[in-house]
Amino acid sequence: MENIGHGGKEIVERILPKDAAIKRVNEMRAAKAKELDVRLQIATEVIDIAYGFFSPLEGFMTKADVDAVCDNMTLADGKTVWAIPIVFDMSDEDLKKSGIKQNDEVLLTYTSNPFAVFEVSDIFTLDKQDMAQKVYGTTDEKHPGVKRTYQYQDKFIGGKITLLNPPKINEPFTRFWLTPKQMRERFKEKGWEMIINHQTRNVPHTGHEWLMKGAYLGAYGSMMVDKPRGGILVNAIIGSKREGDYIDEAIILCQEAQGKHGYFRDDIFLTTCSLWDMRYAGPREAVFHACLRTNLGCTHHMFGRDHAGVGSYYDPYDAHRIFDKLPKGSLNITPIFNLDWWFCPVCDEVTYMGVCGHKDKKASFSGTMIRSIIQDGVKPPRRIFRPEVFDMIMECAEKYGFGDAFVTEDYLKRRNPVFTIEPLK
Amino acid sequence: MAEETYPINLWVNEERLEKLQAAGLAGMCKEVLAGLKVLAVPNTAEQRDKILKLFTMAKFDTATTKSIELLPKFVKDKIFDLVVARKKIDVMDEFLSKFEQTGDAFWSQQIA
Repeated sequence: MENIGHGGKEIVERILPKDAAIKRVNEMRAAKAKELDVRLQIATEVIDIAYGFFSPLEGFMTKADVDAVCDNMTLADGKTVWAIPIVFDMSDEDLKKSGIKQNDEVLLTYTSNPFAVFEVSDIFTLDKQDMAQKVYGTTDEKHPGVKRTYQYQDKFIGGKITLLNPPKINEPFTRFWLTPKQMRERFKEKGWEMIINHQTRNVPHTGHEWLMKGAYLGAYGSMMVDKPRGGILVNAIIGSKREGDYIDEAIILCQEAQGKHGYFRDDIFLTTCSLWDMRYAGPREAVFHACLRTNLGCTHHMFGRDHAGVGSYYDPYDAHRIFDKLPKGSLNITPIFNLDWWFCPVCDEVTYMGVCGHKDKKASFSGTMIRSIIQDGVKPPRRIFRPEVFDMIMECAEKYGFGDAFVTEDYLKRRNPVFTIEPLK
Repeated sequence: MAEETYPINLWVNEERLEKLQAAGLAGMCKEVLAGLKVLAVPNTAEQRDKILKLFTMAKFDTATTKSIELLPKFVKDKIFDLVVARKKIDVMDEFLSKFEQTGDAFWSQQIA
C-alpha cells in the first residue's frame, strides 16, 4: 500500500471516471433520483472529501462522528484523531420538500451542473451551541467559527460522497492546485524525504520567510547535504473571505514570488493551495491542519504563535500545547513549534525570540501591521518585506482586486471563482 | 504614570515626510522596523472604542503593536491632513466630531 494518509489509511480518490459518471447521472435521472443544488461552502468540502484531502473521511459526518469529534476529538471509531466537524446542513423545510430520507442516493449539483452522488446514511439534529463550545471553546457569535456554526441550518445529513464531475480550477490557481496524490508524486520527483508544511492565508513578510527557513534548518538535521533531500511546502488556504483579508490571488502569487526571486532555492520550495474555509478554531484547527497535511504527504508541520487563532479567544501557545494531549502515535506528522520572530535594531536583522538577547529593543511586526503599512501606500523596507512581493501585491490589486489588494464588497461580487463545475458531457 | 493611549499608526513615505517637515512635525515620527517611519496619532480609550464602532473593518491589535490598525486609506489620509493642517497630532476629537456631523461628505471636504 502506498500513499498512506491520516489515520494510517490509504488515500482513496472517490471519483468516477467521466464515462461512468455520465452513465450514472443518466441512470439516476431515469430513476428520478432526488437532486439537490449545493452552495459553495458544501461544494468545496465535497471536493476535499473526494480527492482525499480529508482522508479517512469518505463523506459528510454522521451524528456518531460529529459527537465523537466534539466530545473526544476523534472519529466515531474512537481512535482516529479529528478536530473539526465536517457537516452537510439543510433546513427542515427544504428537507421535507426534497423528500430526502435515509438510504437515498441523491444527485448533488453545483451551479446546476451534475457534481456528486451523496449516499444518505444519517439525518440528524445537533445542539449548535454545544458544538460551538466544544470545538471553539466559546459560544460568542463574534468568533467566525461560532458564527458559521450558528448559521448552519437545523438538519444535518451524513453519508458517503462520490465525485462525478471534477472541478475546473481557474486562473491563476491552476498551477497551484495539486491533489494529495499529485502532491506526493511531485515530492517524489523532487527527491524530498522531508516535507515541511507552512500553513498560510497571508501574503508573506520576512517574519514568515524566516519562520520557514528556521524550520527547514532545524528539521533538516543530520540528513546528507549532497543534494536537497527536503523541502518547504507552502500550502495556502483558499476559501471564504472576510472584507479586509488579502485577496486569494495575492496570497498565492506572493508566496510563489519568494521562490521565483530566489529567497528560497527553487529545488527546496513549492507553493500549492488547498480549498478550506478557515474556522479560526486555534488549537483544534492546528490539529485539523496536521491531519490535512499528513494527507498531502508532509512529514513536518510548522505551528507559529496563535496558529489559526482569532481575537483573544486562545492563548498564543494553546495551538502548541494541544499536541501534548493527543495519544502518542495518533498523528503521522511531526509538529515544529515556533516562538516569535522580530526585527532587532541591534542585531539589525529579523531574528528569533529563542536566540536574540535584545528583547527590550525588539520591534515586533505582525501581518496586521504589514497590511496597515501597505494600505497606507508605503513600501516597507526590504528587510521586512521583499520588494518583489510588494510589487506582486500591487500587480494583483490591479489585475484581480479591482484596484485593491484587500477583499472588498466589490471583489466578493465580481471576482472570478477559484473553481467552476462545468456541464458533464 | 503616563496615561495609556491607543494610537493610530500613520506610516510615512517621502511624500508624507515632506508635508510633516513643512508643518514642523517631522521630529514626531518614530523610526521602527529597519528605518521605516511612523507617526502615532494618540486616542483615548473612549476615542478608540468610537473609531472601532464607526469603522468596523478596523481592529485594535492587542498582540503586537497595541494600536488601531486596518483603517481604510481614505480615513487615514484624512487624519493625516488634519495633523498637517493643525500642526499637532492631537486631532482625534476634531476628526470624530467632524465625521459625526457630516458623515461620508467629510471625505471629500477640504480641511479648513
